[in-house]
Amino acid sequence: MMEKVRHLTIDELLALRDGEGTAFARSHAESCHACRRELERLYQIQARLRALPTFEPPRDLWPRVASGVSRKRLRRRVGYGVLGLAAAATLAALVVRHGPNARETPAGPSDVWVAEAESPDLGPFIHRSAELESILRAYRPAYQVYNAPTALAVSFLEDRIVLLDRVLLEGRAAGADREVLVDLWGERVEAMETLVGLHAVQEERLWR
Amino acid sequence: MKNYASVLAGAEVTRARAGDREALETVYRAFQAPVYNLGRRICGNEEDAEDVLQETFLEVCRSIRGFRGEGSLWGWVRRVAVSKALMLLRRERGRAARTVGGDSFSLDALGAPPPEPTGPIDLEAALGRLSPVSRAVLWLHDVEGYTHEEIGEMLGKTASFSKSQLSRAHRRLREWLE
Repeated sequence: MMEKVRHLTIDELLALRDGEGTAFARSHAESCHACRRELERLYQIQARLRALPTFEPPRDLWPRVASGVSRKRLRRRVGYGVLGLAAAATLAALVVRHGPNARETPAGPSDVWVAEAESPDLGPFIHRSAELESILRAYRPAYQVYNAPTALAVSFLEDRIVLLDRVLLEGRAAGADREVLVDLWGERVEAMETLVGLHAVQEERLWR
Repeated sequence: MKNYASVLAGAEVTRARAGDREALETVYRAFQAPVYNLGRRICGNEEDAEDVLQETFLEVCRSIRGFRGEGSLWGWVRRVAVSKALMLLRRERGRAARTVGGDSFSLDALGAPPPEPTGPIDLEAALGRLSPVSRAVLWLHDVEGYTHEEIGEMLGKTASFSKSQLSRAHRRLREWLE
């Protein structure tokens, strides 16, 4: 009586195609024409899938993405500033306790960072910060006409930046890990971008 | 597959990490097509693919500071895109599952299945007929090159689940493409 041939299952053939087949599957495929043909078919389908045409986005979504990012940043920071009054008070107390003046506006990071301006990890943050500072300087004259909630948010962000500058300086002096400094610089840039965003919104309202 | 990692210079990635708007836009322009294509292939329609594209880049812009350069930027962006596409799939199937019972990735066909084709169909049409989960697994494994372990993890399932979905997809393709 002839023994019935057991062909490879699709699972075994797929494993074989992906280089994970068993010794039995490998040896069977070498001697079985039908299974070799099935294996070849699986290779061909994979090649055809990879050769399918690429779909292109039907329209430019970048403006939506960019405005979505700005809105989220603004919401997060302003929400943080207005709702997190306790946090704001703590920050303010820290600033008062640590500094000679009751309130400071960010004067820009200390000169000690100039030496780091070309470093690959901190450099981009330092340059971006400088760009944002020059934008902020143009907005400051209009600051006094802002409404109370905006003024509070601006004040909170400025205090936060002043505090971040101090922490950055102290961290650098204490030899903090570079990744920590990168994160703090990232925080500073983010706070400044939010500040610029707030000023931009106010400016738009004033001119409307 | 095109090597998208080479599209961007290292300096642009560093600027993007610092939140530079122009550099972020460069990242978007470099990867919008492969991300959209991935979304379109996994979700199977234009509208969902646009959602995947938008959600992916909102996440990329928010989180790129955390990208430490371990592996390629495209590998990282692609992982975000796959996660967004699968989340969308899970959300839509979860909605359907709540109405019929079951979990979002175990229901292979909800409602009346489309009638079987009377003759051979082309690959594009066959892909469109696969269940969303089988199609996602097929694409992620056979085209994007993810392992069954990675796919299982991304789906919140096991590697065996991914393997069985791939086998199922190939069985169906075999019937339809013959």
